[in-house]
Amino acid sequence: MPKQTVFIKNKLGLHARAASQIVNLASQYTSEVTIQKGNVTANGKSLLGILTLDAPLGSELLIDVNGSDAQELLTKLVELIENKFGEKN
Amino acid sequence: MLAPKFLTIQELLNEQTERLQLKVLSGEEGLNRKISSPRIQRPGLALAGYFAQLRAERIQVLGSTELSFMDTLSSERRQQVLEDICQIPISCFILTKGLFPPPEMISIGNKYKIPILQSSLQSSLFIRQISIYLEEKLALETSIHGVLMDIYGRGVLLLGKSSIGKSECALDLIVRGHRLVSDDMVNIKLLPPDILIGSGPELIRYHMELRGLGIINIKDLFGVAAVRYRKKIELAVVMEEWKQECEYDRLGLEESTINILGVDIPLIKMPVAPGRNMAIIIEVAARNQLLKESGYYSAREFDQKVINILRKKSKAKFI
Repeated sequence: MPKQTVFIKNKLGLHARAASQIVNLASQYTSEVTIQKGNVTANGKSLLGILTLDAPLGSELLIDVNGSDAQELLTKLVELIENKFGEKN
Repeated sequence: MLAPKFLTIQELLNEQTERLQLKVLSGEEGLNRKISSPRIQRPGLALAGYFAQLRAERIQVLGSTELSFMDTLSSERRQQVLEDICQIPISCFILTKGLFPPPEMISIGNKYKIPILQSSLQSSLFIRQISIYLEEKLALETSIHGVLMDIYGRGVLLLGKSSIGKSECALDLIVRGHRLVSDDMVNIKLLPPDILIGSGPELIRYHMELRGLGIINIKDLFGVAAVRYRKKIELAVVMEEWKQECEYDRLGLEESTINILGVDIPLIKMPVAPGRNMAIIIEVAARNQLLKESGYYSAREFDQKVINILRKKSKAKFI
């Protein structure tokens, strides 16, 4: 069960558009994804679930992926978040 | 996510000052002390010098009995017994009925940084109100990926993998006049001993995400009668893809359950396949649950009917 910690680096934080990018990516894979912030855990394929994490700039998220294509998905998710969801700042 | 829960005195004051008519009399420096048990305690015996069972994590409630007892003590004895009690890190003392403590208590509250509060409510009313509040506040909590609906007054939790069609099914149910509690994520609280209360996280409350449509607000679209703030969970339905090799319940005689926070909730496994209108099937499941709760089990009654007929026939044969 690969997992990794990432920090939100884009200025707006984990907003709706950003969350939708995570969901879209996760939905292309069969693995189960959970994203945890503090004591709130959300399903990585659920848009509203991710939004309940309420994660502004600087938040620490723990991504936990479980399944046959887990490692590849985890790498891509971390990349997406580290790249600020393609936003400039 | 079952972290031990607590509440600071400051939080209690922030949320309940008005309702419980609270006032801080002394020990303000101790407002960060924690309450971690919903039970209250009346320290009558402790005042008489018996300290066993005195629990630090509970609120200590003093009413007129405790105060009039303290009045019978000499000032030195009062000082001594209160000093002794405060060796235990008591969360706070609350005096009811607008009563004031003896002067020794005020100074001891400040000395040991133990808040001494006053409520103008009567003891019995105060204890009832604060117990309800604390039980809810300190309840075990979890969150679950699913949809919670109120169908004919029954709280039905729809579970299943993402994109199995939970939200679409919920929308169907809303159009049919049922009420949405939460989509995608349901926060569940345990009210002991066995009541599970589900509600939506505040940020996404009454919102729903549908592929192709995006995020919609059910309360705005369908009105206030289409949503509910919270609901007791009484039935769970797991939606899953129809698997050839999996045997589904054909009779409804077996009852399975799902365990959430230690409470068993009746569970129905519901295969999804073309031609199966999930909303209608789930609506009927809720109706059936209502029947069961009133003591009528369709499957069992039917089973009995068949057995009775078979019995009659076999008797006829052998006579």
